[in-house]
Order: sequence, then structure tokens, then C-alpha cells
Amino acid sequence: MAGASPVLEDGSVLSWLDRKLLIVERFFGLLAGLAIFSLMLLAVRSVGGRVTLNAPLLGYVDYIEQLMPLIAVLAVSFAQRDGTHIRMDLLVEHLRGRALWLFELIGVLLILVLVVFLIWGSWAHFQRSFDFGAPLWSRDSSTDIALPIWPSKLMVPVAFSVLALRLLIQVYGYGRALILGLEAPAAVPLVMDPAAQAAAEAEMLDDVEAADGPD
Amino acid sequence: TEWNVSVWGKRRAFTEHIEKLAELVSEKTGGEFTMNVSYGGLSKPKENLDGISIGAFEMAQFCAGYHRDKNRSITVLELPFLGVDNLAEEVAVSHAVYAHPAVAEEMAQWNARILMTSPMPQYNLVGTGDPRDTLDKMNGMRVRATGGIGEAFKAVGGVPTSVPAPEAYQAMESGVVDTVAFAQHAHLSFGTINQATWWTANLNPGTVNCPVVVNIDAYESLTDAEREALDSSIDESITHYLDNYGKLLAKWDEVLAEKNVQKVMISDAELENFRATAAGPIRDQWITDMSAQGLPAQELYDLLVSTLEKTRAGN
Amino acid sequence: MDPIEIGLWVTGGLLVLVVIGMRVAFAAALAGLVGLFLIFWSKKGFDPEDIGWAVTVAAKTAGQVPHSKVASNALSLIPTFILIGYLAYYAGLTRALFEAAKKWLAWLPGGLAVSTVFATAGFAAVSGASVATAAVFARIAIPEMLKINYNKQFAAGVVAAGGTLASLIPPSAILVIYAIIVEQDVGKLLLAGFVPGAFSALVYGVLIVGIAVIFKSVGPPVGGFTWRERFAALPPALPILAVVIIIIFFVYNPFGEKAWGTPTEGGAIGAFIVFCMALYRGMRWKQLKAALLETAKLTVMIFSIIWGVLIYVRFLGFADLPGAFSDWITSLEMSPMLILICILLAYAVLGMFMDAIGMLLLTLPVVYPAVMALNGGEAVSAADSAFGMSGPMCAIWFGILVVKMAEFCLITPPIGLNCFVVAGVREDLTVQDVFKGVTPFFIADAVTIAGLIAFPQIVLWLPSLA
Ligand code: NA
Ligand code: NA
Repeated sequence: MAGASPVLEDGSVLSWLDRKLLIVERFFGLLAGLAIFSLMLLAVRSVGGRVTLNAPLLGYVDYIEQLMPLIAVLAVSFAQRDGTHIRMDLLVEHLRGRALWLFELIGVLLILVLVVFLIWGSWAHFQRSFDFGAPLWSRDSSTDIALPIWPSKLMVPVAFSVLALRLLIQVYGYGRALILGLEAPAAVPLVMDPAAQAAAEAEMLDDVEAADGPD
Repeated sequence: TEWNVSVWGKRRAFTEHIEKLAELVSEKTGGEFTMNVSYGGLSKPKENLDGISIGAFEMAQFCAGYHRDKNRSITVLELPFLGVDNLAEEVAVSHAVYAHPAVAEEMAQWNARILMTSPMPQYNLVGTGDPRDTLDKMNGMRVRATGGIGEAFKAVGGVPTSVPAPEAYQAMESGVVDTVAFAQHAHLSFGTINQATWWTANLNPGTVNCPVVVNIDAYESLTDAEREALDSSIDESITHYLDNYGKLLAKWDEVLAEKNVQKVMISDAELENFRATAAGPIRDQWITDMSAQGLPAQELYDLLVSTLEKTRAGN
Repeated sequence: MDPIEIGLWVTGGLLVLVVIGMRVAFAAALAGLVGLFLIFWSKKGFDPEDIGWAVTVAAKTAGQVPHSKVASNALSLIPTFILIGYLAYYAGLTRALFEAAKKWLAWLPGGLAVSTVFATAGFAAVSGASVATAAVFARIAIPEMLKINYNKQFAAGVVAAGGTLASLIPPSAILVIYAIIVEQDVGKLLLAGFVPGAFSALVYGVLIVGIAVIFKSVGPPVGGFTWRERFAALPPALPILAVVIIIIFFVYNPFGEKAWGTPTEGGAIGAFIVFCMALYRGMRWKQLKAALLETAKLTVMIFSIIWGVLIYVRFLGFADLPGAFSDWITSLEMSPMLILICILLAYAVLGMFMDAIGMLLLTLPVVYPAVMALNGGEAVSAADSAFGMSGPMCAIWFGILVVKMAEFCLITPPIGLNCFVVAGVREDLTVQDVFKGVTPFFIADAVTIAGLIAFPQIVLWLPSLA
């Protein structure tokens, strides 16, 4: 189900790598958040301009189409770090120890294979839209105002590359736990039963409510 | 051999030549060579050229104005006010431009070879409220128009907005656009005619150019008999398309009457004014820009004009 | 292997991956990638020499999807709706709503519970996520109910059930996702959610009053609010009304004039109003940054499933499995209505084990065309159809039905997420308590779904005006 799981930290190199990569992931997450925020501002500009001055934002749809891929992929690794991506917990929830780490390892290895192919494919998609010889290096442009599309296409393999690094950390983390038979390995999201998960989710809202002001 | 063909929307006048081609090719090869026409299942319209380049499917349709930078050379066919009067002329100028080596070369970068055009009549406006029949009234008009037609309206103070065709009806309903520029079949199949109170009968600002292309490797790996069947079916498919579209145009006036849509005629003075503002400057700008990018822009434009003259002289 | 066989094998493989706990988004994408490879390779007769070619074409075809399919104006509603929900906390809207509902409705038998249901329905109008709604109201409403000796389990059940309303009443991410997958008008689907959402809340309310009348111990009425107090409670909740009106007016203008814009714009303007309210209530960069990060994370979770499933759907397009499934469904010798009910029951079972969004995304590409075919096709007229409605209307109706099923799954054991969340917030409640308390609401949901099937006008009235 949805919701983040705890990731333990310790003094190991793996945990150090995990925390360093988290800095990059949080930055990408914030960029995606700002892209979402700018959707709101674009609409205010577009509707406001249309209603007050009969001057809607030229290329409104083009801008949205540029922003959406960023919103859809930039934070993909940020969400993988703590297991926010949903899955069916029915099986893994009942596993403990080595059996659990085995299934987790299989899962992240399969994702890693997928992501390698997607980096290849999305890089090729970027390359087809990019041409050093053309003005603005553009070989694919948006419909209304002819914005070059390659920058937003480039963000996809970049985000997937960060995800690949994250998956390498998780493969190592789960693999180590499997071989050593660890109880609570660092740098990987740990499985919580639904109750613990709900408690964590509620705690997150606590932080939010604390800022809720005087009501 | 089985080919996958990527188009979009639903079956309509705009895709009839492709359906006909599939039928003819299968007939001529005794079912050896078939085409599987997919309406939107294989790709997004704007990515059809990418799909051809990858080799995901063998044949596809796209429109030049969706992505000018992917197909700069054929955007000459989308310049406003070229003076193309009917579909036969549209076919003639399109195919002449397609045959130019610069076009073939640009398409080859996508591993694509243009097979034929999807000729469309002039994109006239439908709208609600008072007819926008002068340039003054077009100032500030929010119009659904792409490519060169959009540029033309921008030149007279309009605001072009590229709503995807299937959303044009809703965009009109919601006031996101005041008017929609489409060919007749699209006004019918996307329902914009049902929103309209008027239609410009003689504005004729230009049209959109939508070729049908094939993947070069797939084309070359056809057997001689299959390639012969394909090549020899193109003219017949286009003829079928023109006949079919002709019937649609013949019915158009009835449709207008039935839906109570006013046929707006724009005065010659206003048209002349529009052409002077939009046609010349946009064409000159296009030639300057494209020449700077190393395309034989003037040559392409001259080829278009001379072909148009020749076609008219031939009739 | 022909394409249909490849389609079946790959779909089976996808189910295995999902069951062994692979993240749904990546399982679907991997299935799609492998499927595309097999389809392309089969075109070359599985010649070993062409493996490299098939892998390349599959990777490049799949690699397009995460960019091209999400670069869509309509999809931008999803992050906007999620952002509205997060900002609503900071705007203090939850407490305001509960206070207003209490002052107006608490005099009824079971009054506080009825107030809770209508406050959750109101909050649903600014929140796209059911789970968040349940968590917030578990905090606000349950203590007040317990203070006047409500049955503990019942109070928890009310909140868990009321929380589900957020996915039906716009803004709703699930409705947008449905619209995108089945390629229907987003605006009309959002409009269609209002009345069934209100109907659903009403059925809950009637059920609570009934229970409170029969079992006096369940929840006494609370009186004594003056009209002055009642009206004074309204203004803090007004931004909700503003958001509802904006979303409606941006899709459809009830006064016959043009709508104010597109649903995309409406959602974003609604978010802006809640944002201004939150600023006014003291939100600053620190809180905004936290909200943006959480919004980004939840959004990327949803979008990963969207592009992952769309890679699988691209493969289905090449394999034409949906076509084959529709042919099979329509060839069955059963009444279309019975088949539809079987499909909804299958969703109820599946929903016990899966997240709603994942479930809909995985199944709709195959199920939706089959349901449309059952009704007589996309372009069928109401007169010739099996369910007595035109193709586009059937698409809307079925959408509301499956979203209501998805809501239902949030409160059914064993994995009714809302129940876990309520139990998680309240330390004095176990999950079993909440499941026990929510049981009466199964009946209410069954009544609602039966009502929506028997009287499709409840769903179709508002969208048919637009
Ligand atoms: Na909602
Ligand atoms: Na459940």
C-alpha cells in the first residue's frame, strides 16, 4: 500500500552513500514540487490575463506540457528511497529475515534491469529531439510557440540515472542483509505491517498539524 | 508481410486513403501483404515520426505543424494564403514538394519516406456570437489554429491556441477559444460545428499538411511484388480520398443549413488587407529563417508556386 | 506464439510480479517492455539474429512513454488536486468545517456522527485523497464523539467511512486517472462525481440517524447552538464553497453562459485560493516547502504507475488483447447487466488486496473496452444500448461505479486502508475495533451502489447538462 517506510542509518559507507544520494533526491523532489507550484501560477496568469485584459498566456498548454514530465519523473528516486511506490504487501508482509530479503532483492534487481533499458530508451528519445546544428539545438518543438522540447526530454534519463544509483544502493543493502542474515539492515526501506504504517502516516500529519496555526 | 499503421482519432474522411491503400494492397497481393490500421493504440500523434524512426511500426500519418522543428522543409506547405483553391491542387503541390531532395533528406533522418499526402481544404473558422468578419474583430480573438495559420492570425492580433483536436469542442464551449480553424471534416467529426453560429466561407487562410510516411527499411525489405502493389495503389487511394471528400463538401451546405450556421463572406478589401499583413511578411520570414538553417527555402517556395501554376494551366 | 498468446503470457507474468511484491509501477513497465520485445521479435519469426533489433525497438518504444504520455494538459489536474489537499491543512479548513457541520447538524439523533460525515464530504471538496481525510478527522471528530459517550467502535467507523468520500467528490485524483485511461472528458467526469458523492453522504447520514434512533446508546443529539453561532461558524469554511463553485463553473456554467475555462485551470485556481488562505493563516516557506515535497512524492508515486501502466498499455495496443477480451465478453450468453455486476464484484474482491489507483490502472485498459462493448460500443445511442445510455454516458457511469467500488475497498477487511489509518491515529482503538464499527457502512455502500445502478440519472444528470 501507499506510504513511506523507515530507512535506518548507521556509520557504514553504505549508509553514508544513502544519505548523500538523499540530498540529490530531495533537491529533485523540491524541483518537482516547484514545478507543481508553477502550474498554479501559470493558471492564475492565464485566466487572469484572459478575464481582465483579454490577454491569455500565449503557449499556456505548451508550458504545461513541458512541466508535466518533470513532475512525473524527477522525484521517482526520492519516492523509491523510502518505499513510497505502492505494491501489494500481502506476501512480503508475512516474510521475515532471509526470505524477506530474497524477495526484496529480486524486486530491486528487476527494477534495476528495467531502469537500465528505460535510460537507454529515454536517452534515445532525447537524442532524436536534439541537434547541435539547429537553432536552440532543437529538432522537436512545441506546437504553439515552438519551444524546444529536448530539455524536458533530457530530464527523464537524468531522473532514471539517479534512480539507478538508488537501486544499486538497495541491491547492495538487501544483498548484504540476505548473506549476513541481518535483522534490520541500513539504507533500505523496511517492511512495516499496515498498523505501523498507518501510525507513521498519522505521525507525518502530526508535523503538518503542528503548523496548523491557532484553531 | 504485415504492417502496423499508426494514425489517431477515429476513422474519418481524413484517413480514408489509408484504409483504401490497405484494402488495395491486400487485394493485389492475394492477402500476402496486409496493413493493420491502429487508431491511437501504437503512438501519440506527435510521436508518430519517432515511432517510424525507431521502427516500432511501418507506416504512419502526422501533421507538419505539430512539430515544426522535426520537419522544417515541408512547413512551406503550411504557409498562409498560398492560394491553393482545391484538393487536387493541394495534392499536386504537396507531392511536388515531397519529391524535392531536401525534403527526402530531412525525412530520411527519421528513417522515413513520404508516400502520399492527406489533402485538406482551407481551414475556415467557426465561431459563436457576432461573426469575426473584419480584421478589427479578429484582434484579440482566441483561435484554435496551428502552424502557419496560427501565425497568420497572430499577425492580425489574434491569439492562437493549440487545443488538441478532440478537445476543440470543449475549448469552444468553455470559452478557452472563441473560434476554431478546421477543415470541414474535422468541424464535423470533432463537433465544433454543433457549437457554431457562423462559418467563414471565403477566408481561406491556409491549411495543414499531413503526409503519410513509411519506414525506409520496411519499405526496402518488401518483395518486389509487394512494393509494386504498394506504389501502384497510391494514386487510386488518393482518388478515392478525393471522391469521398468531395461528397462531404457537397453536403456541407446542407449541414450548415440544418444546424442553422450562418455562412459569412468576408469582403475583398478585408481579405486583401489580411493577405498583405500576414502572407508576405510570414513567407519572407520563413524563407529567411529556413535559409539560415541551410535549407533551400526559396527553391522550395518557388517549386510550390510553379507547380500551382502548372496545375492550373493543365486544367 | 501469436500476439494474443503473448498478451496472455505477459499479463500472467505481470500478476505474478505484483503478487510477489514488486512495486506496481515498475512491474507494469517491465511487463510492457518484455511484451513489446516479444511482439517485435515475433514479427521476425523469433529469429535469433533479430534479438538485438527487437530489444532495441522495445527499449526505444518503452523509453518514449515516461515523457510523451505524461506531457498532457489534462493530467496536470492530478498534482494540482494533491497540492490543494496539502494546502487545505495549513488553511485550517478541517476544523472550520467540523465546527460548522456540528452547529448545523448536531441536533439530529447521532448528531455528531452525522456532522462528521458531512464535514468529511465538505472536506472531500478540497481533498483528493481519502486516506488523508480519514486521518485528519480521526483527530478532530473522534475525541468530541467520545466526550459525549459515543460507542468507540461506531465513532471510528464513521470517520473511516466518511473519509472514503474524498475520491468521489471532486477534486479527485482517481476520477482524473479514470478519465485519462479511458480517454473521456475529464470535466464531465468531475461533474458526475458531485451528486453521487452527496448521495453517498446522504445514505451514510440516514443510516446513522436510523442506528441512533434504534440504539439509544450509540449517540445522543447535541443541542443548544443559537442561530447566531450557526452563522458565525460559516465564514471560516467559505473557501471550500469557493473551490467547489470554481471547479463547477470552470467545467459548466449553470446560468447558460460560457464556462469560465477548462478543468485544468479551475483546479489550479482552486489551489491558488486555498494557498492564499493558508498564507493568511500563517503558512510560510518552511511549511510550503514541506507541503511541496510531500506533494511531489505522492505525485511521482501516482505518475510512476501511470507511465508504467501506459508502457504495458502500449504493448497491449500492439498485441490487441483488449479487443480479444471484449470479443469474448460480448460473446457470453449472459445478460449484460449480470456481467457488469460480476465485474463490479470482481473489483470488490481485488480491492481487498490492492491499492485503488493501482487496481484501476492495471485493469481498466482491458475491462473498460469490454464494458463499452457490452453496452453496444463507443458510438451507440441510448435507444440501441444495453444499459439504456449512450456510449459517452456509459463511460461516465461506469467510471463513477468503479470509483465507488474503489472507495468501498478502503473500508473492507483485510486491508481497508482507512481503517488502519484511523486505528493508527487513535491509540485507544485497534484495527478490529474500526472494522467492527465500519460494518454498518458496508450496507450503506451496497445501497449506494445499487442506487447508482438502478437510477443512473443520479450520475448522469449533471454531466448531461454540460
Ligand atoms: Na475529493
Ligand atoms: Na480493502
